[in-house]
Amino acid sequence: MRYPFPVGVADFIQGDEAIARAAILAGCRFYAGYPITPASEIFEAMSLYMPLVDGVSLQMEDEIGSIAAVIGASWAGAKAMTATSGPGFSLMMENLGYAVMTETPLVLVNVQRGGPSTGQPTLAAQGDVMQAIWGTHGDHSLIVLTPATVQEAFDMTIRAFNLAEKYRTPVILLTDAEVGHMRERVYAPNPDELKLVYRKLPANEEEAKYPFGDVHGDLIPPMPIFGKGYRTYVTGLTHDERGRPKTVEAEIHEKLIKRIVAKIEDNKKDIVDYETYELDDAEVILISFGIVARSAMRAVKELRKEGIKAGLLKLNVVWPFDFELIEKIAENAERMYVTEMNLGQLYHLVKEGANGKAEVELISKIGGEVHTPGEIVERIKNDLR
Amino acid sequence: MRLPNTIAWVMKMQIRLAGIGGQGVVLAGIILGEAAAIEGLNVIQTQDYGSQSRGGHSIADLMISKEPIYDLMVTKADILVALAQLGYNSTKDSLREDGLLIIDTDLVKPDRECIGAPFTRLAEEKTGLALTVNMVALGYLVAKTNIVKKESVEKAIKRRVPRGTEEINLKAFRIGYEEGLR
Amino acid sequence: MYLKPSYEIRDKYLRKDMLPTIFCPGCGIGAVLQYTLRAIDDLGLNQDEIVWVSGIGCSSRVPGYVNFDGLHTTHGRALAFATGIKMANPDLKIIAFMGDGDAAAIGGNHLIHAIRRNLDVTVILINNFTYGMTGGQVAPTTPKGLKGTTAPYGSFENPFDIAELAVAAGANYVARWSVFNYLQGINSIKKALQKRGFTLVEFLSQCPISFGRRNRLKTGPELIKWYQKITVPISKAKNMSPEELEGKIVIGEFVDRDRPSLIEEYEAYKKRAKKMMGWEE
Repeated sequence: MRYPFPVGVADFIQGDEAIARAAILAGCRFYAGYPITPASEIFEAMSLYMPLVDGVSLQMEDEIGSIAAVIGASWAGAKAMTATSGPGFSLMMENLGYAVMTETPLVLVNVQRGGPSTGQPTLAAQGDVMQAIWGTHGDHSLIVLTPATVQEAFDMTIRAFNLAEKYRTPVILLTDAEVGHMRERVYAPNPDELKLVYRKLPANEEEAKYPFGDVHGDLIPPMPIFGKGYRTYVTGLTHDERGRPKTVEAEIHEKLIKRIVAKIEDNKKDIVDYETYELDDAEVILISFGIVARSAMRAVKELRKEGIKAGLLKLNVVWPFDFELIEKIAENAERMYVTEMNLGQLYHLVKEGANGKAEVELISKIGGEVHTPGEIVERIKNDLR
Repeated sequence: MRLPNTIAWVMKMQIRLAGIGGQGVVLAGIILGEAAAIEGLNVIQTQDYGSQSRGGHSIADLMISKEPIYDLMVTKADILVALAQLGYNSTKDSLREDGLLIIDTDLVKPDRECIGAPFTRLAEEKTGLALTVNMVALGYLVAKTNIVKKESVEKAIKRRVPRGTEEINLKAFRIGYEEGLR
Repeated sequence: MYLKPSYEIRDKYLRKDMLPTIFCPGCGIGAVLQYTLRAIDDLGLNQDEIVWVSGIGCSSRVPGYVNFDGLHTTHGRALAFATGIKMANPDLKIIAFMGDGDAAAIGGNHLIHAIRRNLDVTVILINNFTYGMTGGQVAPTTPKGLKGTTAPYGSFENPFDIAELAVAAGANYVARWSVFNYLQGINSIKKALQKRGFTLVEFLSQCPISFGRRNRLKTGPELIKWYQKITVPISKAKNMSPEELEGKIVIGEFVDRDRPSLIEEYEAYKKRAKKMMGWEE
């Protein structure tokens, strides 16, 4: 199989470009999108590559149409993706909920920019964290990944597809304009080195009858895609295990929604991913995700040089959220600092997780510039005096 | 002002290129970054510009290091290359006190010690295309500082410039390089 | 034309465990569904290769009652979902069953662009001049002066002519009938299903409970008689003046052409891409 970009080597590319390449290597063959800064480059790269690998890249009339087309393509059997930023992300919320309710695998990339509304189209922010987790209405759960480097944007795109297919859920790749537009060396493995996942198909006619039931006991139903004679009915209305709308029976709604939520929450150990640095004897712990984690890492090094026992918890997945992990870390720490480019979103989750075992502080910065290591160090040193 | 001499020098370096939109500042930054990547160095390249396609300021930042890079932006540039007065004005405060300032001597009036050459004039006279000013300046920078090898940059130029313009861009680069060696 | 007994159609194509339907006594949707199923049956199409899509509304509930793959999506977005299904698997045939509010109001933009692209899909559009499921609000198709719950004194806005819209946007086949033109309806659907590109068959369909009741047309038969009165076949309408056409709705086949469809254009695009990049086999 021939690829329209180098594989098995490193290349000097932007985050947006890395995401597009990774998607194709992961097997994505359907992309629908709408132009929006700073995500347009993902769309343009997909448009360049997809026709060459016999895939589809389509410009829809708006973001609502984009995610709709992606869901349709997924039910037709394709691995599908769309990418957008704040204003488009807001438009996609209804259909994102539809994907959760119908358990449709897909990858949604949000290259965050300054918000709310039109905001700062060309500058980075982390203001959509809560929206990524809770933006669509109703009780639900999904997966949100947060890369901090261009290599991670690449690697996590592949992981996003694998998680989406494994858990039959939409996965949000929550990155930002900084990672999206900066250039770094990225190593793209040879395709045969990659472990890729495709959704479970029904093993027999009996299984195909229950596209929304816990047929295998792992909370993940097999997915009877269209065109195979399964005669599947997919609806956003509350439905029973066979997919038939059943909107007034409380037990059916409860069973369905609780299973969809448990599908993600009960599998936290498999989904959650994080890195720690110098955490063992740390008294001051920085908690960071996305682009800010890089500055936080440097800040920890600087603080250690000055004799302050600092450590870093870098989250690669912000939902599902491992509250127990935070509590465990909080037990040995005096203070935890959440560094994010917003006015406090992950902060609340960390505070809840810490459960009073440590002081939780927020180092917030908005306006488009990433925290510098110096700013983080200054703040912590000032607090410690 | 100190002149960094060979690659063995620093563990990491912050470089900032500044000009106005249309001078090819960002492309020069990408090419320099690619050259460093070719040599196996760690490098991050970012850019900043106004909304106008032509005429607003244009800035390309590079962090080059042998070790993994955690700083994302130029906070204190080791080297600043200014191709236009507007670009210089926007960025001069980010150059460290003993940092190296390289300017287009025709277009920039600096208020500190610097080195440079009339890049735009050289580009116009020697290649016939003022647009290649970015390559001339790049050649000068590489000759004076040796951050990356000449051959790495030439490889990067061939990869990154629009098809059909490789020759003229290489020519401009070599002219700047010659000028820098003087 | 020989018509099979309807129970044969019912047994072959309906999901018995989903019946009875939610449709009101006197509703026209069931009839249009029957025409569609008869058309599919007459053509001998493969049930496994057809996907029904719909948005939200009474008409959009139809895919739930038929034994095919079905995607019941969000309000107004059926055609966007359909675009993804068709482009990802061009072997599937898509039937989009929608109402007038779903297709022309919230779905208007997706409708226009699906037609513009000439997406291969057959839209069966139930036009009952109202938002039936939510209780009878006015729709972009409600004739001026007629009442709905959100214009209790008579609609003050101009309505869309969806068929004309589709023709202007570039559809390959557009027809409009009222629910009592069953022969023409079935034949139009057959034609539409066999054509490439965007095909639309609009049906004026009676909604006595939400629409009729508020406009002095309380029963199904009264509404159908009203349709008979206000509809004019296109062959006759051609020779009528605008004044004579005031208050009338033209029915018939509006356009029948064979512009290249989205799938065909995209296949050609892929070939072009590979050629330009030097990737030809």
